[in-house]
Amino acid sequence: MQRVSAPPRGPRSGGPTARGGGRGGIQKRTAGPRPVKVDKDGDLDMDAGVGAAGRGKSGKGRFESPVPSGPKGAVRGRAAGPARGGSTRATQHAIERGLRGEQVNVREGRLTTPGTTLQVEGLMSSKAASNSDGGLQSLEGFLERKASGRDSKSNRTVKIKKSHLRGDLVIITASQEDIEAMLKLDQFSFAGATLTIKPHEPAPPPRKEISEKTEGISPGTAEIKDKLKAILASRYDVDLKLLNLSSLGQDAGLLEMGLGSLDGKTTSKLFPALMVVCDSLFDSWKAKQEAIVSVTLAGNGLSNVTNVTALAQTFPDLKNLDLSGNNIAEIKGLESWRWKFRHLENLVLTGNPLETQTPNYNIEILKWYPKLLTLNGVQVRTPEQVAAATESINSPIPISGPDFRDVGQVGENFVRQFLPLYDSDRTALLSAFYDAQSCFSMSINMSAPRDRTHGSPIPPWAIYLPHSRNLTKINNINARMSRQYRGIDQIQKVWTDLPATRHPDISTQADKYLIECHPQPGLADPSGQSPHGVDGLLLIIHGEFEEEINSSDKGSRGFSRTFILGPGTPGGPPIRVVSDMMILRANSPLAVPSHPLNPTQSSMPAPGVSPEQHQETVTKQLVEKTGMTPEYAMLCLMETGWDLNKAFVAFNVNKVIPYGLLVQPVY
Amino acid sequence: MAEPTEDIQIKVAANAAEQFVESYYRTINNPQQRSKLTSFYIKPTPTLPLQADITLNGNTISDPSELQSFFENQVAQTNYEVGSFDCQVINTNYNVGVREGQLAPDKDGKKMSILVMISGGVRYWKKEGVESETRGFTENVVLVPNWEAQGPKAAKGEKKWVIQSQNFRLVL
Repeated sequence: MQRVSAPPRGPRSGGPTARGGGRGGIQKRTAGPRPVKVDKDGDLDMDAGVGAAGRGKSGKGRFESPVPSGPKGAVRGRAAGPARGGSTRATQHAIERGLRGEQVNVREGRLTTPGTTLQVEGLMSSKAASNSDGGLQSLEGFLERKASGRDSKSNRTVKIKKSHLRGDLVIITASQEDIEAMLKLDQFSFAGATLTIKPHEPAPPPRKEISEKTEGISPGTAEIKDKLKAILASRYDVDLKLLNLSSLGQDAGLLEMGLGSLDGKTTSKLFPALMVVCDSLFDSWKAKQEAIVSVTLAGNGLSNVTNVTALAQTFPDLKNLDLSGNNIAEIKGLESWRWKFRHLENLVLTGNPLETQTPNYNIEILKWYPKLLTLNGVQVRTPEQVAAATESINSPIPISGPDFRDVGQVGENFVRQFLPLYDSDRTALLSAFYDAQSCFSMSINMSAPRDRTHGSPIPPWAIYLPHSRNLTKINNINARMSRQYRGIDQIQKVWTDLPATRHPDISTQADKYLIECHPQPGLADPSGQSPHGVDGLLLIIHGEFEEEINSSDKGSRGFSRTFILGPGTPGGPPIRVVSDMMILRANSPLAVPSHPLNPTQSSMPAPGVSPEQHQETVTKQLVEKTGMTPEYAMLCLMETGWDLNKAFVAFNVNKVIPYGLLVQPVY
Repeated sequence: MAEPTEDIQIKVAANAAEQFVESYYRTINNPQQRSKLTSFYIKPTPTLPLQADITLNGNTISDPSELQSFFENQVAQTNYEVGSFDCQVINTNYNVGVREGQLAPDKDGKKMSILVMISGGVRYWKKEGVESETRGFTENVVLVPNWEAQGPKAAKGEKKWVIQSQNFRLVL
């Protein structure tokens, strides 16, 4: 497989189609060789474009412009307002600790409201502990899913606000309601370990005198905080979403406070304190992320980022960062940010000794920040390049459009009828495509990963559970037998139990689906004439549907559904469903092809290859794929300008090939 | 010979699916084991020149060795985790590649073709430290008997069931 250009689509070791002539294949029942509607890739061309061409949306590779979309409730407004309750006191503690040189831990400072934290023990002994993040994300996902599914009456989704590791414990913050839901998961097993889940008792405040002061904070601390707030407010540009922290050493307000400079010669409390105050100004992570996309730390005499490293904790999602006019001489000075700022697009390092003293530092910086577009005002990557690189990390196997190798439009016609009928009239659907041998089963994958930004609640699974034939869980042979349904009567009974659904309209919302199919040899011949079996079609639909359990429980689900279609029993429907297998999962948008158009198989000769060599190669390929004799393959190719794809399509469309032209019968 | 009974069908198919799911992903997840990937697929023979039909994310792969060398050379590490799987017998008497005279069904279910459908999550590492988010996948595999493993001369440890067709798709 090539990384960049995808392998040919359409042309295949054609097994079934190659021997289409005599056997009772699925195509036998269609009236003559109808032209199959395919595009040049061999994709089925459904009206609105199930094929790759119709998929404009990429989602990836779009970069939010740093241009602000208008003022939002931002620092300036807040700074003037009254101090908020809740986390304020905790934040003040944190500031105070910070100013005293104790470890500042912003998150912890927020974590101490009773009733909204819990502690989980057991992650360390689970298999997930070997994940790069220690399994935290995986545990979070587990708790959210399990706790969300607990209460089948409510549609509420449990959402974890924050979590962090403390020793062997994971401390989790969420709303009181969600915490209660998660506490019920005590003794659940997760990745091979049993979890012990308890309400978290916050650590006692570090200084006795603070805890004794029930009425707030010493006036000194509050004053410091207010001053810092005012300074931050004056340095925030709401239109640019920029926090200007340049030349802090010349800031009259800060000088007055005597908090020291950032030059790296001494450890400074100033910056951590500023960050704590910054953090306290936002209700949510998202609000902070939206309000501040750029920070400048220019002109601070920094020789390294040690004193300002807290920036990465407070603003991990920064897109633009200016470090110009500092004293950074070596790449080492930036090392503590090596793995931070994973969304950084624009970095300025001009005016640092680095430029002259560390040649090629830019190469290293490019490696560090895979999404970096601009360095020192010069474009270093295009958004497309970044998108392609990201995509290749996320999926080393390129994501291409559907591989839809239909036979005589059987697959297309089936999909067009199946989807609306399953929603509107399952009985009619059964009589149109199912018979006494048809088999249906379904399974639920409750642990399917989900796009974290896709937060719609997962409807309860309860109604599906009695039917789920997830073989990782259903081990008993009797259950395995009873959860597989054969014949119209049994299937109808299950389908009556399953909730009503609404699938997106395939002709107007084709982008909600990914549908693939390919010929499937060796099905039982219902007419009993072909002992070697007949050809059919394996067809897969990936998509989503809306479901309605009752008037209050609605929601959407993701599904994949695989069918084996074969010729029907004589006298019955011409096409029947041999197998119908469905997997349900939490709904998330489908992974769409990374390239708007499928890279077509290059039928151009590679450099250095003569036309003769090229012709020889494609002839060989066509022979392999179709089982034709080389003479006939060359004939086909000559007619289609030596284009392998076109030749194969032509071959498929005019399937009537004299037997003698086949190299040998396949069976 | 008689057709396999329903409970034999289900037992044999579920065992084949279980074994496949367990061993295939273990093999692909372990870079040292990837050289064994081709052993999971049907091998074309002069009497049956049929290749496994493989499609990964819409890309058709012409033969299993291509898939194997891709995983050997282009993917540092993978972590496929199966969340659910299910299987059904497609044909109780699969006769593709079977000689005349041996076309009768096998009551022990050794001649079936089996559809296995798997749903799970996968993470890729392209190189050390560069790791993808967890993505969802659905994989469909049709297992057919490995005729080579059934003869009296069959080598020990040969897989009883091999992939005739495979369709992998990232769905998230």
